Amino acid sequence: MRGIGRGRSLRHLRFQTLLAIAAVGVAVALPVVLLSVGGGVAQHELRALQQSGFQVVVGAPGLHGVEGAHGLTTKIDALREVRAASPILSLPVTVFLPGGGQAPLLAEGVMPGAFLATVSPEESGLFPSPLPLGDPTDLHHFANGSYSGAAVNSMLVSSPFANSRSVTTGERLALSVTGNRSQSTVYNVTGTFGVPPSLLGPTGAFVAILPLSDLQLLAGEAQASDGSAIDAVDTIQVALSGSASSSPTTVAQVAQSIQSLVPYYDVSTLSQEVASLQRAESVLTGFYLALSSFSLAIGLVFLGVLLVRRVDALRSSIAIRRALGLPARSLAAEFARTALVLAGGGVVLGLLAGILLVRALAIYGSAGVAAVASLAVFDPVELGTLAAAVLGLAALLSLAATRSALRFSLPEALR
Amino acid sequence: MTTGKPPMVELTQVTKRYPIGSVTALDGVSFAIAAGASVSIEGPSGCGKTTLLNLLGLLDSPTSGSVRWNGAAAGSLPERERARLRLSGVGFIFQRFHLLPTLTAAENVELPLRAARRPGPERAARVAELLERVGLTGRARAYPHELSGGEEQRAAVARALANGPGLLLADEPTGELDRTNADAVLDLLVEAHRESGAALVIVTHNPDVAARAARHLRMQDGRILSDSLAE
Repeated sequence: MRGIGRGRSLRHLRFQTLLAIAAVGVAVALPVVLLSVGGGVAQHELRALQQSGFQVVVGAPGLHGVEGAHGLTTKIDALREVRAASPILSLPVTVFLPGGGQAPLLAEGVMPGAFLATVSPEESGLFPSPLPLGDPTDLHHFANGSYSGAAVNSMLVSSPFANSRSVTTGERLALSVTGNRSQSTVYNVTGTFGVPPSLLGPTGAFVAILPLSDLQLLAGEAQASDGSAIDAVDTIQVALSGSASSSPTTVAQVAQSIQSLVPYYDVSTLSQEVASLQRAESVLTGFYLALSSFSLAIGLVFLGVLLVRRVDALRSSIAIRRALGLPARSLAAEFARTALVLAGGGVVLGLLAGILLVRALAIYGSAGVAAVASLAVFDPVELGTLAAAVLGLAALLSLAATRSALRFSLPEALR
Repeated sequence: MTTGKPPMVELTQVTKRYPIGSVTALDGVSFAIAAGASVSIEGPSGCGKTTLLNLLGLLDSPTSGSVRWNGAAAGSLPERERARLRLSGVGFIFQRFHLLPTLTAAENVELPLRAARRPGPERAARVAELLERVGLTGRARAYPHELSGGEEQRAAVARALANGPGLLLADEPTGELDRTNADAVLDLLVEAHRESGAALVIVTHNPDVAARAARHLRMQDGRILSDSLAE
């Protein structure tokens, strides 16, 4: 009977051991997934930002936009080290198709020449060069804010939109910002442009590009009711020339010069935006770790309970060792070893499970999930720190078991 | 019996009470054991024999009174110090052998040597010597469940002798053995006591076992009824 009982007890202990390893494994897998995917997405965004074709952005958060855009662009262009300044106005519009249908579209008003000079190297091959949108400077139609020059009335549409709506070059499309056809303006489609592959969403899929002044007129962003020029855009993207573009000091100096031109607008450099994104990533990492700490706490509590239960299960053996005079440190070392082996097993299991899960999501997940999972980055330092933290906490937990092992009554246990 | 030296172990007015059930296991017990002596402690179940043995071997501490080792107070030392004294000074032989089931016979014997941080070659030689002495050379790699009761107890005797203790404490060492094995284990204990000069204390129900010792203590209700020398 005693043998059977001991066998059951050992099996029970083995089962608990497997459960503890599994609990720590699950607890580790969660932060592995969160940190690797979250970090991968953040790094992807950072890379995209760093590969932009511009280094400084003028914006007007909380205001109606950057006004006097044409004049300001000319002034920025005149600054040393500036290669091009590209004002951009973005608006949702309704497009009325020749066949009678209508569709929503994002219209981007640009200065054709400056626009091409500020797109990233990755994007530049997607556009016809020069852009077939008439005057590359957009100044003739703008005519010093009177908008009395000859309108170009040309537009480019993105290939996905053209394919989806069977729009071809040479067709005429009516655009309206109000959704009312009677308030629309007709534009000639003079070409199409490609959209860079986007892993994280349909950015830029249904887009039209128009001369800036055309869109300003269409959207009422050209002149006020009294005839004075508003000339509003959302942002002005500024590209620096040559080596200046990769010198943070020069970029900061140019940004400062622009800021002195427009002290009331927000002038930010890409490095600031990168830093801001990195700060956001740090916050997110902290959030992921906080979230993971719940699962880690559960896994470690389970491990701690198992260790203390081992003291009960091994009570007789521990009592013999103590009776023989084995020093407390040898028991402490034994429990620390057990804790580290169990936690180590859990860490290995968790790392493997996390990595395999992310890999599986990248292959078998739905499109969006697979895209995000494919960006995952398994940072050895980050994962190593996570593993070390779990092992350290497990070693601390073993102290509770050691304390318990040193406190029970020897005569009672040896009886 | 007095040599001018303090006794090896001396109990003075030792009382041991267990809070659960307010049991008084020992009630004002006083006696001393000289180095190299052999003592049997007899008495009915529950008379306090094992409690007395636990106090002698520093496995427990008294509720009142003193336990002195070689003249120095030992009973009230912290557990760490008592463990150190047990490791170097006491060899325990338990009724149920208490070998560690996950270790072989040789590893069980080696355990106290490891704890005492003896060098590897010295440990190996000592283990071989002890196993030969108890007749288990061929069973060195056997685990406790592969040994007979007699072999287990012989391995336990070898383990008790490992660090050359000055005091051998045996609690019903033959309680779970047949006559032949019981005699063999007793022979080993007495021989080890004579050869090493270690004091031997045997707790037993069995008068034949008690008769192997030179001095006999008889206990009842936590007190020593008689303390006599063998005729």
